[in-house]
Amino acid sequence: MSMMLSRRVRDLPPSGIRKFFDLVVGAKDIISLGVGEPDFATPWTVRSEGVYAIEHGRTSYTSNLGLLACREAISGYLKDRFSVSYNPETEILLTIGVSEAVDIVLRTLLDPGDEVIVPEPSYVCYGPLVQMAGGTVVSVDTSDTGFIPTPDMLQSVVSPRTKALILCSPSNPTGRVIPKETLLELLALAVKHQFWIVADEVYAELVYDVAFTSVASLPGAKDHVILLNGFSKAFAMTGWRLGYLCAPPEVVAQANKIHQYSALCAPIMAQYAAIEAVKNGLSELESMRRSYEHRRNYVVTAFQEMGLSLHVPEGAFYCFPSIRETGLSSEVFAMRLLEEKRVAVVPGSVFGLGGEGHIRCCYAADFDLLKEALSRIAAFVKAL
Amino acid sequence: MISTPVAQDILKILSKNARLPAADMAKMLGVAVTVVEDTMRALEEAEVIVRYTTVVNEQKMPQMKRKIRALIEVGIRPERDRGFDDIARRIAQYPNVVAHYLISGAYDFLLIVEGDSLEEISSFVSDKLASTDNVRSTSTHFIMKKYKEKGILIGEQEVTERLAIMP
Ligand SMILES: Cc1ncc(COP(=O)(O)O)c(C=O)c1O
Repeated sequence: MSMMLSRRVRDLPPSGIRKFFDLVVGAKDIISLGVGEPDFATPWTVRSEGVYAIEHGRTSYTSNLGLLACREAISGYLKDRFSVSYNPETEILLTIGVSEAVDIVLRTLLDPGDEVIVPEPSYVCYGPLVQMAGGTVVSVDTSDTGFIPTPDMLQSVVSPRTKALILCSPSNPTGRVIPKETLLELLALAVKHQFWIVADEVYAELVYDVAFTSVASLPGAKDHVILLNGFSKAFAMTGWRLGYLCAPPEVVAQANKIHQYSALCAPIMAQYAAIEAVKNGLSELESMRRSYEHRRNYVVTAFQEMGLSLHVPEGAFYCFPSIRETGLSSEVFAMRLLEEKRVAVVPGSVFGLGGEGHIRCCYAADFDLLKEALSRIAAFVKAL
Repeated sequence: MISTPVAQDILKILSKNARLPAADMAKMLGVAVTVVEDTMRALEEAEVIVRYTTVVNEQKMPQMKRKIRALIEVGIRPERDRGFDDIARRIAQYPNVVAHYLISGAYDFLLIVEGDSLEEISSFVSDKLASTDNVRSTSTHFIMKKYKEKGILIGEQEVTERLAIMP
């Protein structure tokens, strides 16, 4: 049977999270800090626009790129919020979440054997999607620099086959935000060696106490950066499946060919809802952001009090403390925490190089549960 | 102390959950517990925080004798040397009046009035309110059901199902 399946797919490593998932799903009374999405429902005004679209029969396909009105709204939003400018007619493609955008961007860029540099620990989809696109993953361990990729560490792995560098800032799983000075240096490297920066900025709105710079806003970035963003995290819209890819017209035109054949278009009701999100959802976005920030502060203090070291996450809704001092591997730690204290976290090892010795805790959880989970983790660590 | 950003954060948090321990709030805001405690005390002393109360859903407690509530629009006949505040002070004093606002539009005051029965409210309106000096007219709307109060939805809460583990 397996011989009838693609070698490429069979060669993909299974998701490290899978067996964990099966354990947690069956069990009751577990507090999960293992989620990867907002704990808010989509703001009501946005939901009601989606309902309105459905009620008024807006249930068709849209153009492949997406509704022009939605692309225009996103273009204006990106300009206001991140000082980046993309032409809604030719430089923005709406996708089925950032997930699809990552997939088609890699397929658009890569020829067999092309290399993609992935700073790790990283979000889990990049490596497999590079492989599916026929490329080769070049992993870089960022754990020595607080999970911030630096020009020095990249310089040593750049080769003539380097086609792209994936940057995820704010980062899943570490919550770190790449500072502007570093971005400038990374962009200079991309210009010098002529590779693309694929910037996954899906958490760009969820940044605390630092200023966020989009790499796409830097001078000279336009020809070297492909910007990916979406509505899932900022507007608590994970289930709507809407993201977008911004790039020079030639890239968008080529990516749109893949999108056209494999997805056709993003869901129309999500597109209408998204227009409302950028138009009238910003104050709710801000109150959600404040709420994450409060919980971030709480979680950071709690881990510090436990004596676990961590790099304070400036964004997203993850905290990635080191559990090295406990002497346990991240998988054993997570497994025992689950069995003994009924708290689910994600072992850092699933996020690639440099992830071992850490756990990822998502603090987008109800405050009382979060507090309870942290006190159970504290008791667990203390008893080790 | 009461005009700092921390004070504003504290007010926002308390308006959602007035029982959150000061120690938790301090961790959330990244400040010392004493800062939270001192700020709260200052807010209380300055009467920015007037009182901590509860939002109650009586529908969940059938055995409890329910209060009857009404919204009452009140028209006022203004008089020389007698402003709205002066008149309002006389009306707001009644214990049946649980909220009292000056409003724009066809009426001048909006009251929320509470009583044990329809009769109690009716007699409050006819005996007390309508006969108060300068009250020109009243229009009473009994409240039949409560959907939201103080920004909090009453009744069925939304449950969203999320995967417990996601990369
Ligand atoms: C870094 C990162 N990129 C992309 C995604 C996928 O987002 P979307 O819902 O837009 O497909 C996630 C979701 O967890 C993520 O963490």
